[in-house]
Amino acid sequence: DKLTRPWLPVSKPIFSVDIHPDGTKFATGGQGEDSGKVVIWNMAPVLREEDERNENIPKLLCQMDNHLACVNCVRWSNNGLYLASGGDDKLVMVWKRAAFIGPSAVFGSSSKLANVEQWRCVMILRNHTGDVMDVAWSPHDVWLASCSVDNTIVIWNARKFPEIVMTLKGHTGLVKGLTWDPVGKYIASQADDRSLKVWRTMDWQLETNITKPFSECGGTTHVLRLSWSPDGQYLVSAHAMNNSGPTAQIIERDGWKTNMDFVGHRKAVTVVKFNPKIFKKKQKNGSTPKPSCPYCCCAVGSKDRSLSVWLTSLKRPLVVIHDLFDKSIMDITWTLNGLGLLVCSMDGTVAFLDFSQDELGDPLNEEEKNAIHQNIYGKSLAITMESQLSSTIIENPEMLKYQQERQVNQNPNEAQGIGPESQTPKLTNVLNGESLEDIRKNLLNKQVETRTADGRRRITPLCIAQLDTGDFSPALFNSVPILPGSSASTQLTPQISSDSSTANSLGLRPSHDPTTTSPNKTAEENKDSATAAVNSIGMKSNLLLTSASKIEPMKALDSRFTERSKATPGVTSVPLTIGITPLDRVKDCSSVKEPKGKDETSSDSEDKIMVKSMAKRKGEMEGAEVVEKRKKGRPRKDAKMMPISQPFPQVTFLLSKDAWTSKSMDGVSTDGVTYLEVENEVSVVSGSRLSQLKWSREGREWDALLPSRIIIAAGSNDVVAVACEDRTLSVFTACGRRLIPSIILPAPMSALHCSRHFVMALTASATLSVWDVQKQTALVKNESLNPILSGTDATVSQSFLTQQGVAVVSLSNGKTYCFNSSLETWNLIADKQDSLVQCTDFRNCVSAQDALGSMGPLALTQGRNLSAGRLASRLSSTPHHLQQGMTLAFLEKQLSSALVLLSASEYRHWLLIYARFLVNEGYELRLRELCQDLLGPVHKSSSSSWEPTVLGLRKRDLLTEVLPVIGQNLRFQRLFTEYQDQLELLRLK
Amino acid sequence: MAKVQVLNVAVLDNPSPFGNPFQFEVTFECMEDLPEDLEWKIIYVGSAESEEYDQTLDSVLVGPVPAGRHMFVFQADAPNTGLIPESDAVGVTVVLITCTYRGQEFIRIGYYVNNEYTDTELRENPPLKPDYGQLQRNILASNPRVTRFHINWEGCAEKMEDSENVDPAPIAMRPPSCTPGKAPPLGLVPDNSMDCL
Repeated sequence: DKLTRPWLPVSKPIFSVDIHPDGTKFATGGQGEDSGKVVIWNMAPVLREEDERNENIPKLLCQMDNHLACVNCVRWSNNGLYLASGGDDKLVMVWKRAAFIGPSAVFGSSSKLANVEQWRCVMILRNHTGDVMDVAWSPHDVWLASCSVDNTIVIWNARKFPEIVMTLKGHTGLVKGLTWDPVGKYIASQADDRSLKVWRTMDWQLETNITKPFSECGGTTHVLRLSWSPDGQYLVSAHAMNNSGPTAQIIERDGWKTNMDFVGHRKAVTVVKFNPKIFKKKQKNGSTPKPSCPYCCCAVGSKDRSLSVWLTSLKRPLVVIHDLFDKSIMDITWTLNGLGLLVCSMDGTVAFLDFSQDELGDPLNEEEKNAIHQNIYGKSLAITMESQLSSTIIENPEMLKYQQERQVNQNPNEAQGIGPESQTPKLTNVLNGESLEDIRKNLLNKQVETRTADGRRRITPLCIAQLDTGDFSPALFNSVPILPGSSASTQLTPQISSDSSTANSLGLRPSHDPTTTSPNKTAEENKDSATAAVNSIGMKSNLLLTSASKIEPMKALDSRFTERSKATPGVTSVPLTIGITPLDRVKDCSSVKEPKGKDETSSDSEDKIMVKSMAKRKGEMEGAEVVEKRKKGRPRKDAKMMPISQPFPQVTFLLSKDAWTSKSMDGVSTDGVTYLEVENEVSVVSGSRLSQLKWSREGREWDALLPSRIIIAAGSNDVVAVACEDRTLSVFTACGRRLIPSIILPAPMSALHCSRHFVMALTASATLSVWDVQKQTALVKNESLNPILSGTDATVSQSFLTQQGVAVVSLSNGKTYCFNSSLETWNLIADKQDSLVQCTDFRNCVSAQDALGSMGPLALTQGRNLSAGRLASRLSSTPHHLQQGMTLAFLEKQLSSALVLLSASEYRHWLLIYARFLVNEGYELRLRELCQDLLGPVHKSSSSSWEPTVLGLRKRDLLTEVLPVIGQNLRFQRLFTEYQDQLELLRLK
Repeated sequence: MAKVQVLNVAVLDNPSPFGNPFQFEVTFECMEDLPEDLEWKIIYVGSAESEEYDQTLDSVLVGPVPAGRHMFVFQADAPNTGLIPESDAVGVTVVLITCTYRGQEFIRIGYYVNNEYTDTELRENPPLKPDYGQLQRNILASNPRVTRFHINWEGCAEKMEDSENVDPAPIAMRPPSCTPGKAPPLGLVPDNSMDCL
């Protein structure tokens, strides 16, 4: 192997090093002058000596001094787009490369060394209350984990920074190292509390706590960087002890056994890093190829300043390098090809090691590696699939569009930063084609200045570039102002620079000096350059005044630069209004609800309700609100009770036996309220008592006399149905014309509903009938409720009729059924106790528009269950694959229920959620079947039984809606293209 | 790290007569949309001896500030000469530009300012009472002194998180007007699961 001695001109400690996934650069993190420091270096000069000597090839690409204190860890995301850094300032910063052309330096910095690449902090993650010791990106960059001396591990949602997914608590000491399982099932952490903990990613609970190998350990190391093998089978800890000797403990995934360790280092192991490649023995030419077991390779660094490299196929280390550094090794990183290794040390240097394939073996390619994963873990390796996908070429322009849309949606913060191509037009828009120089000339006159209510000046700044563009002239930095006749303004500058060359050692540093790299000001440094500046001025003004006398007050002035002045107390900050709106809404809701509740209870005492009536609720099928009110005596219009709008005014009410007049007011719409009024025993004619039904809407009214006492009446926009004590049912049109002669019921009426031209009757003998009074046909014929009631002591608690004439019955045991008249069966559509409902989690498949479209009979029956299930899913510790299966089953149930209920809008709603779920979770076969059903046969054939519509929705229209969803997952791009093309073909026909 | 980074400050109209307004062209970059305005101030240090003589020349609000790179010119009137100790009128002093967010100062940019007579005669024999009309102000624009302070940018972070944690689902799923189910007697047990009917 080849060992390159470090050439990096750094003397401050380097705590972390990480090679970029594309291998062209690497990042280091450590201590800066008076801040933390992240530096991005060019890899080429490390790899090739001729590049190192070539002065045109930059070694240093970018320096970032934004961390206020020492940087303990730098890690590239797997896709190479981001760099995460964590430091003693308790912060995690996420960096992204800015599409900036040309170099720049920090404003006000003494360092004039230009950055070749621009890396910009795009996110600061604040949560830790102590130094951040390690950060780690999960496989395929879903999460970013950070651990801290505050004893916690924070899992950040890397797709929605700064959202926190979970804070893992359990360590009782400083957490100093993190590693993700390459399969994505676990994350492991090692802490000073003499434990190594493995946490599950499905529920973020502790999988195992390993303490034995660490019982003798003291908290002597700065870091404890543990590592997981690329095949996922082994986890190797940092500092462990065995027989009083320092080791790196090997933990087997299978049963978390701790039978092996790496022994040999004389001091504590600070860092372990597995080679990303899996190797197999190099086949020698001529020898017969023997099937050899693949193995992994692992580098171990220690406080004893030595490095050892191990192969899992060998009992002894492959190589040990002693005294590589002057101080402890802090971090190790492998090149992606697995043959190179960078090691950094507290002494401020980085060393590069280069291996040959003869030494390590033949690295397996990605497919072989996947095959191994597939063997061990089965299908769960969607993860590796995805990492491969990142390199997949997008073949279809439509696909590209949806991919981009997805990215925009996922990263709203970076919406402006898709790429330099897309920003250039934006930029010209902003600048209206004017050059920046032109703008600067007129900025003072052109900028918008207003007065606030309290009379203060308010300037609207001119936006000269969207975030992450920066394609404007870098000459802006430290530029001299452009003013008409501003030649005078430059006269000071040359003078000073010439002065500075003669200035003393404290004077202005020449701008090309690469050793001064600290932009952050300490008081001390301030003084240094302040004095320099003073000197310069002093020299210049030597002619004018005696400088010596003026230098003393200068020093007094220096403090003004760094101390917050009492003169700047700042404006009183305006209180945030965020958060008030939702609260208001809640308040509004409750204020509406409360009086209703009171009405309900008060009417309780007033109503004496007869035999087997059921609480009657009118389900307005189109998702509008329903308010029902029962009141004795005079009809009263109560503004609070009015729903906002209802397309079909409906009437319904329940009548008490005691011949009281009941009023029901149900629904308000543009055409007003409909009242249905019943008065029993209005008069007695020849021994029989007459009852009267009164109907009124907007001044129009009719009434009908019935020979028996009315027990239930119900109505819709089209019909009014009345059931009497003598077991007759009368049906009238909305104009009061009797539609059919009295229907004789087999038993007294228990519940009666009307919806459009459908009438539903539930009798006391537990039978159900539904009639279509327009067509004069029976949809459900005296069907017994026994199938759903038998075996339980449950009773009917609710019932209603949908707009499509489907009868829905809910029982007191939480189950809701509807009668499927085509199959003539009862179908279970909702179950409160259903464990599937409790454990499903499809929230990430629900888009904002979906939430609105979910109103309908299905939502009405399930409304509360669904939200309960969602909450439960967050708390429960269901394993992920189980939850996945449950969600799938649940969604399919919803879809079929919507179908049975003939609820088109809900069908569409759940179809889209279902499709999104299939896409997210990668169920290709089901997705294909779904698409096939929606597409139907492309070529007409008489034998096909395919229906072009479902619930009145055109299936191909649905497919058109589903396709963009599919387009969001690159994995399905073939599927997408296939159906997109076929749809296009059909459209052309 | 600060959400707002000052990229450059160009000193305009410099050098200029003492009575001319100060003009600074500020270029800054903001990482994310700021819900509140930035407040910028220009402070003229009247005397090195004491902060008592500091004059806030002007303060402006700058906003709205969406994510991106912005610039504006901050112009403020020259200091009130009446507030400057006569002995400090001529010579070197300091002008400060500060920026605060939610009442917290996060950056302070200082420049040395040299006030001198342009007239040689006056220069050699300065009058006891300063002649401000003859003074020229020269800002040492090439050497800004930048001090950054760590502030809490989130201000009301907790509050915002709370509102995010409210699960909107129950509201969205349920028609707002629905009332609790009330079931009649006769063994028909009321069931809350049907609230929405």
